[in-house]
Amino acid sequence: MTTTMDEPAAGRAAAPPDGLPRLLPLVPGVPEDLGAHLARYGRPPYRGGPGLLIHGVKAAGLTGRGGAAFPVHRKVAIVAGARGRKVIVANGAESEPASRKDGLLLRAAPNLVLDGLQLAAEAIGASEAHLYLHPGFGPEIGHALSQRAAAGLDRLDVSITEAPPRFLAGQESALVNRLGGGPALPTFTPPRVSERGLGGAPTLVQNVETLAHLALIARYGPRWFRALGTAQEPGTMLATVYQADGISQVMEVEIGVPLSTLLASQPAAQALLIGGYHGTWLPMAQAASLTLDNATLNQRGAAVGAGVIAALPAGRCGLVEAARVARYLATESAGQCGPCLNGLPRMAAGLAELAGRGHRKQVRADLERWAGLVTRRGACNHPDGTARFVASALTVFAPEISVHARGHCSATNRTPFLPLLHGMPTTEDDWI
Amino acid sequence: MSGTTAFWYASRATGIVSLLLLTAVLVLGILVNRQGRLPGLPRFAVTSLHRNISLLAVAFIAVHVLTAVLDTYVNIPILSGVVPFASSYERGWLTLGAISFDIMLAMIITSLLRGRLNRVLWRGVHLLAYLCWPVAFAHSIGSSRDLQHGWLLDLSIACALMVAAAALWRLAHAARQLPRAARVAAILARHSPPTGTRGPARARERIAR
Repeated sequence: MTTTMDEPAAGRAAAPPDGLPRLLPLVPGVPEDLGAHLARYGRPPYRGGPGLLIHGVKAAGLTGRGGAAFPVHRKVAIVAGARGRKVIVANGAESEPASRKDGLLLRAAPNLVLDGLQLAAEAIGASEAHLYLHPGFGPEIGHALSQRAAAGLDRLDVSITEAPPRFLAGQESALVNRLGGGPALPTFTPPRVSERGLGGAPTLVQNVETLAHLALIARYGPRWFRALGTAQEPGTMLATVYQADGISQVMEVEIGVPLSTLLASQPAAQALLIGGYHGTWLPMAQAASLTLDNATLNQRGAAVGAGVIAALPAGRCGLVEAARVARYLATESAGQCGPCLNGLPRMAAGLAELAGRGHRKQVRADLERWAGLVTRRGACNHPDGTARFVASALTVFAPEISVHARGHCSATNRTPFLPLLHGMPTTEDDWI
Repeated sequence: MSGTTAFWYASRATGIVSLLLLTAVLVLGILVNRQGRLPGLPRFAVTSLHRNISLLAVAFIAVHVLTAVLDTYVNIPILSGVVPFASSYERGWLTLGAISFDIMLAMIITSLLRGRLNRVLWRGVHLLAYLCWPVAFAHSIGSSRDLQHGWLLDLSIACALMVAAAALWRLAHAARQLPRAARVAAILARHSPPTGTRGPARARERIAR
């Protein structure tokens, strides 16, 4: 098939691309504008009616790339099956401070995200489309929207809302509350936003990377999508990888790739944080033999999450790093649910005590108990994620806890390693 | 004591115990709502205690109703445990008992389904506790001659005073609650060691020695 024959008919560009990258620009670091995007992928292949794309998405086995890895077709089918006004939201809030992949995707390939947004909107029969973007998003997405309007690519107007710089701002119900004009705070589910979301309308919220994959599945089909990745978790994913030398990079990788291939061998790392700040620490010796997919990671109590992989260098103190993150997570509690409001600051203080020198004997047992007590007791999964993070730090850095108990610390470098945002919420406006 | 009077005594005894349990459940519920605590117990334990005693209370009330029905001295139909006006004996007071039991069942069912229910609905039903307790109390005092004098009357008054005190405490506490945005900072400040120190004072001294 030639490009010229194919383009007018189904909107496809040349032959389906092989290998990597699928989403990121062909020339690393050079964003693709609408011209480059159309030359590479062609126009978005609208199906002509709601529901028609769901089968392909299901066959492709696409899962959400925002962190929860929920099957995309299930949420799409729920909203598509509902009656009345429906809303679609592309979630690019990327409220995880260690993750940079959504921001990069929105700069480098905004048109792929917008294609996915329009195609998913068609699949559910949406009458309203929103983009929910991370604080301080760049001008690229606005340029892309105006270029697309001129080219007549979009069927639905897209309105942009900026997320507040809060860890929970990207959580589905917080997002819907923010778009509705209120603070970005999570509320109890049910109802799920796919049943009753923005203004009461069934709302499909998908991560921007998920929508970019969906745009490619719509073009090249499920069989192409499954050519990379594992049988259970097909496709590629964007990962934010922090090497032990402190250099970080967003990479598009095949799901199921050995973690060791993502990490430089030098300088040596002692532990790996997988999934982000709701994620899990693993000792480097164990992590080196694992692959980047939930089937493997779940066996070790870890998950791919938002695709953050951070190698903690040998010279840093894992307890100090974990305590910094735990304190940040505590300050980011919405303060709505008792276990989270009361439990997270205690856990943060307990971990800070362990990270200091000489601690009370019972602190470690207290931390483990509190981690168990807060789990599954919030409106959102913030207490669960924080408890997982703290519990894995206690396990992985257990030798360091004994060192600290004797009044020492093995760190040779005390500069903070993991990136954090500063400024905890002090007024209701900080969630807006 | 024949088998018949055994039922009668059992019914009255479980009724009195139920009143005590319901008083405890309501006071604990207020404590849970205000995130208060009991000496020596973590906050989470107060929640479990509230939950477990409420289930225990319902078990006692079930026995209370069942033994009253099984007792043949007066004729009380089984339905009168849950259906108002179903008994010709002490119709008014038993109706109050049925109403309070129905409210309790509604609260327990909505609490068991809490994960699947809308929070506003759960909360609305749970607020009926403030109606349920006085109704159950009126049923107790009204239908039982025993509670109308002597030390059982003192006990009933003590229960009522505790509930009233807890309810007033709740209102006063709600009035001076911190705004949401200030809560985490306040709790974090309470639990964090002062900045600049590493670990608690006791541990630092030990290292210094």
